[in-house]
Amino acid sequence: MSRKRNYAMVIDTHVCVGCSACVYACKAENEVPEGFCRDWIEQKVEGHFPKLTMEIRSNRCQHCEEAPCVTYCPTGSSHYAGDGTVQIDRNWCTGCKACLAACPYDARYVHPEGFVDKCSFCQHRLKQGLQPACVTTCPTSALKLVDLNSNDGLYRQLIEGRTVTQDKVPAGTQPKLFWLH
Amino acid sequence: MAQVNRRKFLKISSAFLASSAAGLGWPLITKTSKAQGIAEPDRIVSTTCEICFWRCGVDAYVRDEKVYKLAGHKDHPLSNGKLCPRGNGGQGLLYDPNRLKHPLIRETVNGKEQFRKASWDEATSLIAERFGKITKQYGTESVVMFSHGFGASFFKTLFSAYGIHTFSAPSYAQCRGPRSEAFKLTFGHAIGSPEGLDIANSRYLVLLGSHLGENMHNTAVQDFSSAISKGCEVVVVDPRFSVAAGKAKHWLPIKPGTDLALLRGWIHILLKEKRYDIEFIEQNAVGLEELWQGVKYATPEQTYAITGIPVEQIVQVARDLGRYGSSALVHPGRHVTWYGDDTQRERAIAILNALIGNYRMPGGIIRQEKFTPIKATLNQEKFKPYKADFPVTQNASHTFQSRYPFASQVPANEIVDQTISGSPYPVKSWFVYGTNLIQSLGNQPATLKALQQLDFVVAVDVLPAEITGYADVILPECTYLERYDDLDNRTYRTPYVAIRQPVVEPLYESKPGHEIARLLSEKMGMPDLFKDDIETYLNKQLKQMDSSLDELKKVGVLKVSEKNLYRQPGEALQFKTPSGKIELASSRLREAGFDAVPQYQPPPENPPGYFRLLYGRAPMHTFGRTANNRVLGELMPENELWVNQVAGRDMKLKHGEYVYLVNQDGVKSTTKIKIRLTERIRPDAVYMVHGFGHTDARLEFAYQRGVNSSDMITQLSTDPIMGATGMNNNFVTFTRS
Amino acid sequence: MTELVTNKINPNVIPHLHIWGWDVAIYLFLGGIAGGLLIISAAMILLQKGGIFSPEEQTAEYSRQIQVASLLAPVLLGVGMFFLFLDLEFKMHVWRFYTNFNLTSPMSWGSWALLIFFPFSVFQAIVVCQFSQIPRFLFLASWESTLKPYLNKIAAVNVHVGMGIGVYTGILLSTYYARPLWSNTVLGFVFLLSGLSSAAALLLLIAPSREKQLYSKIDMYIIAAEGFATTLFILGGITGTENMKNAMLYLIAGPYAPWFWILFVLAGLIIPLVLETLEAIGKIRFSPFVPLLVLIGSISLRFIIVYAGQEIPTFS
Ligand SMILES: Nc1nc2c(c(=O)[nH]1)N[C@H]1C(S)=C(S)[C@@H](COP(=O)(O)OP(=O)(O)OC[C@H]3O[C@@H](n4cnc5c(=O)[nH]c(N)nc54)[C@H](O)[C@@H]3O)O[C@H]1N2
Ligand SMILES: Nc1nc2c(c(=O)[nH]1)N[C@H]1C(S)=C(S)[C@@H](COP(=O)(O)OP(=O)(O)OC[C@H]3O[C@@H](n4cnc5c(=O)[nH]c(N)nc54)[C@H](O)[C@@H]3O)O[C@H]1N2
Ligand code: SF4
Ligand code: SF4
Ligand code: SF4
Ligand code: SF4
Ligand code: SF4
Ligand SMILES: [Mo]
Repeated sequence: MSRKRNYAMVIDTHVCVGCSACVYACKAENEVPEGFCRDWIEQKVEGHFPKLTMEIRSNRCQHCEEAPCVTYCPTGSSHYAGDGTVQIDRNWCTGCKACLAACPYDARYVHPEGFVDKCSFCQHRLKQGLQPACVTTCPTSALKLVDLNSNDGLYRQLIEGRTVTQDKVPAGTQPKLFWLH
Repeated sequence: MAQVNRRKFLKISSAFLASSAAGLGWPLITKTSKAQGIAEPDRIVSTTCEICFWRCGVDAYVRDEKVYKLAGHKDHPLSNGKLCPRGNGGQGLLYDPNRLKHPLIRETVNGKEQFRKASWDEATSLIAERFGKITKQYGTESVVMFSHGFGASFFKTLFSAYGIHTFSAPSYAQCRGPRSEAFKLTFGHAIGSPEGLDIANSRYLVLLGSHLGENMHNTAVQDFSSAISKGCEVVVVDPRFSVAAGKAKHWLPIKPGTDLALLRGWIHILLKEKRYDIEFIEQNAVGLEELWQGVKYATPEQTYAITGIPVEQIVQVARDLGRYGSSALVHPGRHVTWYGDDTQRERAIAILNALIGNYRMPGGIIRQEKFTPIKATLNQEKFKPYKADFPVTQNASHTFQSRYPFASQVPANEIVDQTISGSPYPVKSWFVYGTNLIQSLGNQPATLKALQQLDFVVAVDVLPAEITGYADVILPECTYLERYDDLDNRTYRTPYVAIRQPVVEPLYESKPGHEIARLLSEKMGMPDLFKDDIETYLNKQLKQMDSSLDELKKVGVLKVSEKNLYRQPGEALQFKTPSGKIELASSRLREAGFDAVPQYQPPPENPPGYFRLLYGRAPMHTFGRTANNRVLGELMPENELWVNQVAGRDMKLKHGEYVYLVNQDGVKSTTKIKIRLTERIRPDAVYMVHGFGHTDARLEFAYQRGVNSSDMITQLSTDPIMGATGMNNNFVTFTRS
Repeated sequence: MTELVTNKINPNVIPHLHIWGWDVAIYLFLGGIAGGLLIISAAMILLQKGGIFSPEEQTAEYSRQIQVASLLAPVLLGVGMFFLFLDLEFKMHVWRFYTNFNLTSPMSWGSWALLIFFPFSVFQAIVVCQFSQIPRFLFLASWESTLKPYLNKIAAVNVHVGMGIGVYTGILLSTYYARPLWSNTVLGFVFLLSGLSSAAALLLLIAPSREKQLYSKIDMYIIAAEGFATTLFILGGITGTENMKNAMLYLIAGPYAPWFWILFVLAGLIIPLVLETLEAIGKIRFSPFVPLLVLIGSISLRFIIVYAGQEIPTFS
């Protein structure tokens, strides 16, 4: 598929402090109702006192290249947008939740108004040339939105010399959140 | 067999599930349009955050006269376009359904005390009348103002003009007082707030306690992450595996209360192995030999015996400090009132920084400046002191005199003591602006006792915090999003001046502080004190800076680029100490009968079966002030008690169960707290986030969620040098009933 | 020691997925049984097993069994679909299923398949039940006479449609490879066979005593096949990826294990199989107890799989 843009997110686990500013910013920006979230924090501590390691991540929809949510959506509500993001058309959604069952990342929730919702990479902001709300507010600059089809070199620059991983690769979804370690 | 996958996922403990937060009706959500896309704001207003005391610049997004989103102001040097989680949820305060809505007056009906709704006129008249009576009888020194926060300035002006001269804040003796005094004693100046530390450029950063990342001062965390990105090596000394410790190369899980021994151990190695900045010290410091004598026996082995930190780690960090030298930084912390030895511990930190020569060097301690000082004449013109016209001070010699020789501000706890004892002169009235003394002072029984003895208490707050429950008159201030305050014109590395301006009209009958102060000034007989309205007043100040209110309202902040942060090679340095040099051994301390070189005193040990109670910050809360914030509370509605896995199991504690706490003095917590069994803390200590366990039922959301650390802090270990209240010498155990 | 803490608050996925509950389990049960009834009734029509068996049924061309099965198939499916409809979060948008056809979405296939199931199963019912003989349904007479010549063709379609629905109820879950317990190709067959066996059990329950042996035999064979498929299902799970293995262990040795082994395997498969074998060889008398057990086992299977399958984390 030839696309003008192909948005992805690069997340630096070294600097993220798990503060949740990204979650609050997202909730305000996207009117995520009480009791739900589009992004969230996972904090993993391993080892035994006093030999411990910690990893913190700010997680969200991976905007998969091979998105099972799109594959399984009977109505076409979940779809690939032309910019490399996966979006939901609320007017087409029946709330059948096939996509919730299909998403290996549990990235979606059922909005109380009946449709399913998830991170949109703040597509409405991208269209205005703005960065996503979570990216903008993150005090540690742990979150970076990149356009894989752009030749601005940002992606390469960010991963330079770093270990990059993706989540749940065996799921075959080709996720587009890239984790820096 | 089944355990295999149980282990895999049952342990995902979603710390705080929505169920506890949901259902309480979040007033902020407008009906989401089913259509795609988010509506545009009607306007964006730049102002200053006040969810904590850091004062970041925020852009408030307004639609249909509702603030629906807050974002970091791009140009503000404290935000750089970003906000901490708390700043992001500030609208939760604005729309808190439990906000104070109108003035309240305490009255007794049929022997029962209750609050009655009052008009502003009535409430302010009553205050003026009572202050008049009390000051006539006991002198103006019998009225004390407590405050914390930016909005207090107008009241300070008001009371200063009236002759009231005792102002106290918990940000001193309960927070960074020891740091200020120690750095003044060593370098001749305090480290400031925001701190004059070049964290972003540090290449080696030692944090003692300072849990950056949980302690969420926006710019400090930005600097911290930028240092990490640039490869800074971090050392964290903390009994708990903090978030910062998770980023560290070395985590030193120190035995609580022994930090000074560790610091002395490091000084010992630096001196012994001559790894300090010899040239810098020779030129700029005095007391080196005395320092060596003082730490001569603080060998790594002895340090290990006290702190529990392996010798190799002690030695390695000391050598690293020497190696990185001026680009290393031993962070002085902020809330440093821990064990009563706090000024000396901070002195040791100051000395370490001096030894590695990071003073005014990249990555070290830096010089900060003000934007443009407002000309003094203007202040005089505006706040013409009324003292002359109001000779109400009966006994001018009764100015507050601290028991502690180096207290440069008024320790709040001393006012509590004096209120109880009535000596050397009586304190009869408290005016409390924006500080919840019940939760912030520790030793609650004393605070409550003092409150009982007062003739008249006024509280200015935005919420029905516990302290307001003890007031005779409660004045509802509007939130920071609804008001002007003074210009923020502090010292910072990037000198700036920023505005706080109303984003929306004040809700209910609440009023801005300046308006309340003006009302009071009229009733108190000083009608001209605030004769300019606030906009004229701010505009006049800005004119002095070649700007105007109109301009600042638009841009939010004015700044000039940083300069003179670092010293020039060969620059002669002058320090405002008695010797004019950095005092490795403090002459002033020696003269006052204290150790000129910090000596270590062991803190009290845990009683058997008890755990030392430690506390700290959670990124999404500010003390107790956000506990009722529905937005912020959603992700953390209560605090938990961290207990070491093994120790907890020995005590038969279950992960997730709720218990009461009992401290060494037999004081039982009024509320319950959830147990969190974790590897992340030493077995001899427990930890909780401060600021929960509210007992005022008017705070409907926060009411009785979690436990307040202050409830359990009945032993205050007072720093003999400047009167700070060390809070970490308290111990708790558990009970289920 | 791993401490994993998240502040994700979304109720549908924390602490694990739980989007589908009893209504979907019932739908899967009813869908399966409806598919089974349609397959059996259509097959009997095709195999000419539907002739007059008893003097009491003089007037009818087809046995009561076939009539009941043909009639129940669309009715039960309709009830099942009502439950499915209940599960939709946005009921007003239900028509959206038919403004799109997503080749890769089983649910899309399923919703379109229902569109074929209904008319054809109803056609079959109209013909075999001879509704026009009932005065109130006289208006169906012309339909009946028009359709009658095509009955075999209709039945042929229905065998396939029935299989489709039966398999669909299993496939629906088994294609979600994000849910490792479901993600097992054999699950579709287990569901199909379980649907068939419950259909047979239902017919056995209502069959006149003379015919019981036939249905008991049918049921016996299907249950045997179902037992075989279930074994494959378990084996496939534990020899699968780490993920699938953990999921299967969770089912067979975790909190659902007692339900799975006692309700489904023992009560739903082994006991009926043994008893029906004994019945078939005439050792014991037919008891309504046996088909009831089969039905209970079948419905338990749906509940257990629906619930347990959501509790297993995806690829970790
Ligand atoms: N989110 C958020 N951030 C805040 C605030 C807030 O309310 N919320 N408040 C702000 C204010 S006013 C202040 S003063 C600062 C305070 O923030 P800091 O200065 O960072 O406060 P500390 O007391 O150093 O931090 C507590 C940490 O010290 C550890 N500790 C406890 N006892 C000891 C000990 O004996 N030795 C050592 N080495 N460590 C110990 C605890 O385990 C905990 O990790 O935070 C500021 N930032
Ligand atoms: N046990 C224990 N005690 C501590 C600490 C601890 O960690 N543990 N930390 C210490 C430290 S570091 C500090 S700095 C102090 C902080 O102590 P406080 O300053 O008392 O802390 P807050 O809980 O923020 O209380 C602020 C009060 O101001 C009100 N308020 C908020 N915004 C406004 C406003 O715009 N106008 C007005 N008028 N009122 C407002 C809030 O409702 C609240 O009642 O506590 C100290 N005490
Ligand atoms: S805002 Fe940034 S630092 Fe904070 S949790 Fe989110 S990604 Fe991490
Ligand atoms: S993460 Fe889930 S919701 Fe997002 S694109 Fe991938 S499958 Fe779809
Ligand atoms: S819930 Fe909505 S988006 Fe998800 S699969 Fe069903 S129709 Fe598609
Ligand atoms: S990109 Fe936008 S929608 Fe996605 S998590 Fe960030 S703020 Fe939320
Ligand atoms: S640090 Fe956070 S709460 Fe404090 S002023 Fe800045 S944004 Fe507001
Ligand atoms: Mo503080």
